[in-house]
Amino acid sequence: MNKRIILITAATLLFAASAFAQAPSAGAAGVKWGVISAAFVLGIAAAAGAIGQGWAISSACEGIARNPTAAGAIRLAMIIGLALIESLVIYSLVIAFIIQAK
Amino acid sequence: MEHEHSILYGPVNALWHSVQHRFAWDIPEHVIMALLVLVISAIIFPIFASRIDRDHPGPFQHTLEATVAALKDLLRDIIGHEGDRYIYIIGAFTVFIFIANIFGLFFFLQPPTSNTNTTFALSISAFLYYNYEGIRRQGLGHYLKHFMGPVWWLAPLMFPIELIGNFARILSLGVRLFGNIFGEHTATGIFVGLVPFVVPWPMMGLGIFGAFLQTFVFIMLTMVYISGAIAAEEH
Repeated sequence: MNKRIILITAATLLFAASAFAQAPSAGAAGVKWGVISAAFVLGIAAAAGAIGQGWAISSACEGIARNPTAAGAIRLAMIIGLALIESLVIYSLVIAFIIQAK
Repeated sequence: MEHEHSILYGPVNALWHSVQHRFAWDIPEHVIMALLVLVISAIIFPIFASRIDRDHPGPFQHTLEATVAALKDLLRDIIGHEGDRYIYIIGAFTVFIFIANIFGLFFFLQPPTSNTNTTFALSISAFLYYNYEGIRRQGLGHYLKHFMGPVWWLAPLMFPIELIGNFARILSLGVRLFGNIFGEHTATGIFVGLVPFVVPWPMMGLGIFGAFLQTFVFIMLTMVYISGAIAAEEH
């Protein structure tokens, strides 16, 4: 299963090498690097943010299951943690907005 | 929502240009909306405060009492027994940010917090306030000393890092609020542009939830920073 994931990821990334065929256009009527990098930035940020938040929520659910009387405190800590992780994704969104116009 | 200007932009600027001819610029959208938040809260809360009824509280009174009780509990949890004196500043931030975020749901208004100017004003105010509180409680020397870290020989390394981290709080508070509200407002606007009828509802629901959550996170972080600034005297 792991090997398959690595193989598929490598194949997808190798396809991206065909973008080099468009590179020598000096930017005037050529590749819009701003738009492409904005899309990549946001995709990676959203993926990493989702993994981090999923981990946080799973720990919070486990904590509540083990100790239901502490549910209020655990829920509070979970909400704060989620908002802080989300803010990192939001920083990437702001950068993406700024560079997609270039 | 997809409109670029609120309903007040035209009339207020027509009034502004008719009253004075020295400045040629328009009053910006976010200034008008922030002043509207101020006017709304300056009208609602004094009228309500004069009508507090201890024997037959109405629904608005119940809501506000629950909110104030929750804020005081949070303050006591995070800051400790000194917490109650900060209810005023925290309440001010809560009311302003919540009403400002909620403006995003009305088609004739624009949320002032969807503009970096407003959110950085809020975060700079929070930053100045907690530093002022820390310096006032502990004195400037003692306050700066706790940037130096636990041991004296780490101080040249710790001091710049702590200082930068302290100033980065302005950026983080401001960009977090701006990004959330601007992103949700823009996404709702796009949905409304595509399918104006039922499809924007989930995004608007997310907008309401986001308005509550961002208010909560902003005041929670301000409380944590205040408690960090005044804490060293408690050792």
